[in-house]
Amino acid sequence: MNEKIGSPQDLLKLRAQARSQVDLRGGPKEAQVVVHMGTCGIAAGARDIVSELVSELDKNQVQTVTVRQSGCIGLCDQEPMFTYTDKTGNNFLYVKLTRAKVREVVERHLRRGEPVEQYIMKGDAT
Amino acid sequence: MREISLHILDLIENAIRAGATVIAIAVEEEPDQDLLCVAVEDNGPGLPVPADIAADPFFTTKEGKKTGLGLSLMKFRTEQAGGSFRLERSCLGGLAVRATMPLSHVDRSPLGDLAATLASVVCTSPGVELRSRLRVGTREWRVGTAEIVRGLPVGGRSEIAVARRVKEQIEEGLSALQVSK
Repeated sequence: MNEKIGSPQDLLKLRAQARSQVDLRGGPKEAQVVVHMGTCGIAAGARDIVSELVSELDKNQVQTVTVRQSGCIGLCDQEPMFTYTDKTGNNFLYVKLTRAKVREVVERHLRRGEPVEQYIMKGDAT
Repeated sequence: MREISLHILDLIENAIRAGATVIAIAVEEEPDQDLLCVAVEDNGPGLPVPADIAADPFFTTKEGKKTGLGLSLMKFRTEQAGGSFRLERSCLGGLAVRATMPLSHVDRSPLGDLAATLASVVCTSPGVELRSRLRVGTREWRVGTAEIVRGLPVGGRSEIAVARRVKEQIEEGLSALQVSK
């Protein structure tokens, strides 16, 4: 920080600026995608899944979804995978993903709210 | 792992899960000595065990797991390419992983897509500061997320915007320095 703080108003202004930056970079949004990026996920192609996901969200101006990472959840043979948590808190574990499947999931589920059942792992894995 | 960049991503993810908030990545070439050095350092808690145990594929710090393949895979690929693999204490305070290998070795993995690798970290872990350094001989190129964030307008600092800049600047650096693929 280079500017000198001369009054309480300056301090409040800086606080508002800092808060908006934090919100934009890491704040909660309506829904979240967690890409599983353990060694197994990375070896299976998790990086390409993140790239495709972010590119599709950016292209389609989907600003209500946060993308985050986590480690291996013990289903290494199903990688690459991500967990989508919708705005009501329901979890959907999408497995054995490819770039094409990611595009389909973004379009059908993240944008239109229709889960793509054939790519979702059933059970209590999430 | 088919690329060195994927090993770098694996090390970065390890560091993030260990609690690191600053991670430095270096890809350095010494063309005259036919050497490639890749290093990932962090400000996390460091290794809880001696280095030789940490690189054992049957050692992990994760509860409920029996294997920890990331470090051992990278060590194997480095040594397969005639190189050396070291785990040391970083000047950032955490762990430093250094892999050095002959640039021209036939079994050296390609560097791969470093730009997409670092962009994917920025998108999924926006609270982590990345400091990247590319060097070929005496020519150097640095890309840091803190500088990029400062250079963006306050309303335009989304993780996607920062990731796009990181990707562009890394690609520019790889091209300008003619880093080996």
